[in-house]
Amino acid sequence: MPMKGRFPIRRTLEYLQKGDVVFKNFVKIMTVNYNTHGELSEGARKFVFFKIPQIQYKNPWVQILMFKNMTPSPFLKFYLDDGEQVLVDVEGKNHNEITQHINKIVGKTQEVLQAEALAAMVTSNPANFGHRKYCLRECLCEVEGQVPCPGIVPLPKEMTGKYRNQMKAGQE
Amino acid sequence: LLRVAKCPVQVCRFLSPRGSVLIETVRGRKSRNDPKAKSKQDRVKVPPPIDPVEMVVLKERYTQYQMIMRALRVEFKEQIMRRRYEEEVGSRAEERTKHEAEEHRALMAWNDAENLRLRQLREIRVQKEVEELAMKREEAIGLQEEKRRKILKEKEQEILQLQEDVKTFITLENLDQRIEEALDNPKNYNFAIDKEGRIVKRTAIP
Repeated sequence: MPMKGRFPIRRTLEYLQKGDVVFKNFVKIMTVNYNTHGELSEGARKFVFFKIPQIQYKNPWVQILMFKNMTPSPFLKFYLDDGEQVLVDVEGKNHNEITQHINKIVGKTQEVLQAEALAAMVTSNPANFGHRKYCLRECLCEVEGQVPCPGIVPLPKEMTGKYRNQMKAGQE
Repeated sequence: LLRVAKCPVQVCRFLSPRGSVLIETVRGRKSRNDPKAKSKQDRVKVPPPIDPVEMVVLKERYTQYQMIMRALRVEFKEQIMRRRYEEEVGSRAEERTKHEAEEHRALMAWNDAENLRLRQLREIRVQKEVEELAMKREEAIGLQEEKRRKILKEKEQEILQLQEDVKTFITLENLDQRIEEALDNPKNYNFAIDKEGRIVKRTAIP
């Protein structure tokens, strides 16, 4: 089954996870105004085409809107928690430059991201057994190389308590 | 044999007494209306025997144990709540929020500076475009005027030519004179040309 679309790599998980713009918590809405023709909107168009999927994947709770051919020059607008609006002029810029710019203004820094990852690691220990929601495994029978679940594969007779008790009763 | 423990059955919480093990109310193999088994019809269920002395000792130990466990749990919960509270509404949190607000302000200022820079570039560009447009329009007007002038000149030239030609026209007065002239001067339009392209106009008169 071939991939669909012009640049189907944009739909791969690997590409999406490579995105490095994670917005700060107070950014709620992002709006992109750009034009479909014109040399000055070229960077904005490339940004919308290549970078928006990555951004939306990393920020699933941020609403991203696109407006075409409404203004003569392209720009981005961020609507923050407290009603503040941040305007970012994007005319004539490269799509990489735009990404770096917004990363600097409203993106979480590498240190913050690492600290958050550490905190997440502390709360969720992968060695714990428990409910699927909180832990990786529920029972030791799910681990490869361990005794399989007796509910699925019956234990050999020698390992059952019934047989052992019978043997003990027989001996005494 | 049905493995009761592995059945995905809803766990009935309100039937089990507080603090004890959760009993899974499972009906097992039989449904609600099935009769008792023949071998179990006369069975009298007797609770397990209790030793009163042992019970007293056990109860005391249990009360102590449960008290300690409850205290530990409450301690740990309090610790977690305190940590959360400090994180959200603590001295460090205030500093952090102040720090973040300052950083935010600085970044917004930087963004504004960028916007200003781009705005100036854009104004220059727009001005240039406007000037270019004006220049082009002027050029177009100039070209049009030149065209008009050229046409006028050509027309004037034609008129002058015509005025000169008028002198050679044949009118009713000139008619006789011109006929006489034509008859007097017979014109020979014949000519000869050879392969090299040399023209010879003086040929034999017919």
